[in-house]
Amino acid sequence: MRGATILKANEDKTRQLNKHTLMAYVGEAGDTIQFAEYIQANIQLYSMRNSTDLTPSETSSFVRTELARSLRSRSPYTVNLLLGGFDPRTSKPELYWIDYLASCAPVPYAAHGYAQYYCLSILDKHHHPDISLEQGMKILRMCTDELKRRLPIDFKGVVVKVVDGEGIREVEYEDGGQVLAP
Amino acid sequence: MDALVAQYSQPSHSAQDTTLDDSLALSSKIAPPLSLNFELPPIDSHSAWLRAMTDDHSNPQCPIKIAHGTTTLAFRFKGGIIVATDSRATAGNWIASQTVKKVIEINSCLLGTMAGGAADCQYWLAYLGMMCRLHELRHKRRISVAAASKILANLVYSYKGMGLSMGTMCAGVTPTEGPALYYVDNDGTRLAGNMFCVGSGQTFAYGVLDAEYKYEMEEDEALELGKRSILAATHRDAFSGGFINLYHVKEEGWVKHGFMDTNPIFWKTKLEKGEFSNVTSKLE
Amino acid sequence: MSRRYDSRTTIFSPEGRLYQVEYALEAISHAGTALGILATDGIVLAAERKVTSKLLEQDTSAEKLYILNDNMICAVAGMTADANILINYARTQAQRYLLTYNNDIPCEQLVRRLCDLKQGYTQHGGLRPFGVSFIYAGFDNQRQFQLYQSNPSGNYGGWKATSVGANNASAQSLLKQDYNEECSLKEACELAVKVLSKTMDSTKLSSEKIEFATVGRTKSGTVYHHLWAAEEIDALLKEHGLAKKDSEGVEESWKPGESV
Repeated sequence: MRGATILKANEDKTRQLNKHTLMAYVGEAGDTIQFAEYIQANIQLYSMRNSTDLTPSETSSFVRTELARSLRSRSPYTVNLLLGGFDPRTSKPELYWIDYLASCAPVPYAAHGYAQYYCLSILDKHHHPDISLEQGMKILRMCTDELKRRLPIDFKGVVVKVVDGEGIREVEYEDGGQVLAP
Repeated sequence: MDALVAQYSQPSHSAQDTTLDDSLALSSKIAPPLSLNFELPPIDSHSAWLRAMTDDHSNPQCPIKIAHGTTTLAFRFKGGIIVATDSRATAGNWIASQTVKKVIEINSCLLGTMAGGAADCQYWLAYLGMMCRLHELRHKRRISVAAASKILANLVYSYKGMGLSMGTMCAGVTPTEGPALYYVDNDGTRLAGNMFCVGSGQTFAYGVLDAEYKYEMEEDEALELGKRSILAATHRDAFSGGFINLYHVKEEGWVKHGFMDTNPIFWKTKLEKGEFSNVTSKLE
Repeated sequence: MSRRYDSRTTIFSPEGRLYQVEYALEAISHAGTALGILATDGIVLAAERKVTSKLLEQDTSAEKLYILNDNMICAVAGMTADANILINYARTQAQRYLLTYNNDIPCEQLVRRLCDLKQGYTQHGGLRPFGVSFIYAGFDNQRQFQLYQSNPSGNYGGWKATSVGANNASAQSLLKQDYNEECSLKEACELAVKVLSKTMDSTKLSSEKIEFATVGRTKSGTVYHHLWAAEEIDALLKEHGLAKKDSEGVEESWKPGESV
């Protein structure tokens, strides 16, 4: 958004850091992409220098360190992040919630901004530790429906990506229909 | 979005500057026949003064902290209406009480919920109870929910801009209306609907409720959903908590389904159903 | 002829050599032997102490083996004072990595950071190169147990068994002869003391003359490193019949300024 006008409705607000780590960002226009690409470049540089990829937990730690450094600089990045990754060594998926104040927490599900108020209670109820991808997509549908139903601003839809052992892929997500409050 | 929220969270009358004479004239005209003329403080603009004294957001040092923060919900289904609330009262960051009754039993068939200023709700819903009883005596039949809610809406509208803080729901079942649910707030808004959640925890309750709400629910399902929605809100909203107060309104009148401590319910839900998976149950 | 080239580290001689680096290597070849052996379930580092005196406080002066990080230790051959600078640098780098990535630094990365520093002194500055060779023993999740060696030029390499210091050529050939890739840590310890007993000048070994350390994993999988106490070394020597008899005294063979 710029002022009161939507410039682009389908922008991909994620960056792939390495084969199995994806970072989604929201925040101050300009800061977001600058920071995301700075992180992306550094994670890729690490992979080239050491011919090994950082694990998601190492990556989250690195991102947190960079944000903490930025926070104490003259112009800090105002960026909130979600970092999803699959650790090939443990064969486990991991999710990190990171905010612009450089808090970082490993969590089973997460959201930023107003979406937290609408979606976390749904996730609290419907998320279980060992759900399948299919069940996960169903819960995601509940969340996006709720945002469409209750968020005062017009919700322009989502980009959905899946991170797993095979890597990262975007999946088709049908979200054309209207959802009305009962 | 922030701008939008600010726009809607600010009272729409903020630009208005009601004078003492105006408001007195207004209240005596619209306000009910029984004597309800309050002594008002000798101040030019009550609304502005009250805001200055109570607006915690713009002035954290404000001298009066109004008890706010709540989760209340009510929804219609085929078996009647479920009404559920939490029981926490907060004044600023202080938990003033954990055992507040936020469901007000207006009479045997009508329930009101309270969100916003506790005193305002208690006072005006008690007043509404009185008006409903008078209606029964005068007309020899029970008041409709529509009429009761309209009395309240007109009442609060007459005090609009003078600092009342209420977000309430009137729920009742009458032979003419069936199960009826109205939302009334201090702006003067009055809405009929199938489902409302009111208070600082409303979004969390909506999240759970919307995902599984069906009009054709059975009674036990509906009670469980109401309870679970309040639990969700008490878990995520710092200003909601304490006990879950659960009611079922039927045509014969309302039935109380308990005043239940949230803490054991939370752990039971987590450990038996595996929900709230972000909370670890063991120390690591 | 070489006078013109050997006083400056950063200048090649006409034959394409860096004399200062070679002199540093020479200094190290007089230092006490240090060796490392990779086993299937761990690594052993052993080193010969040159500073032996009955007046020396044994407990407080480990001079050849150092802990770099939770997952890594090293053995030093060369000038201890130079080594201290590098070890301090390595420890700082390891902690810095831990701070940034919340994980132990992978072994090779730490070795490489140290070697980049060493290399710097062979190319610019007009300073003397560090007169130290290291043997590193460590563990990381990516490549499990690893053994590295580095020298003053900044070169490094990974090894299955290696040695530095005095007599390292003979130690190396003994290792080549007796090393078995499938050996356990216990067998590696045995090989280490046997090689040391043959390459060291003194005929009988004791805990005063050697230092010993191992890296391994506990049953739960956590990495440990262990610098052996004198009693443990003596017990090992005794087990393999290499302990010195009580009557033999300690010879004082070290002069200040000499490499250890």
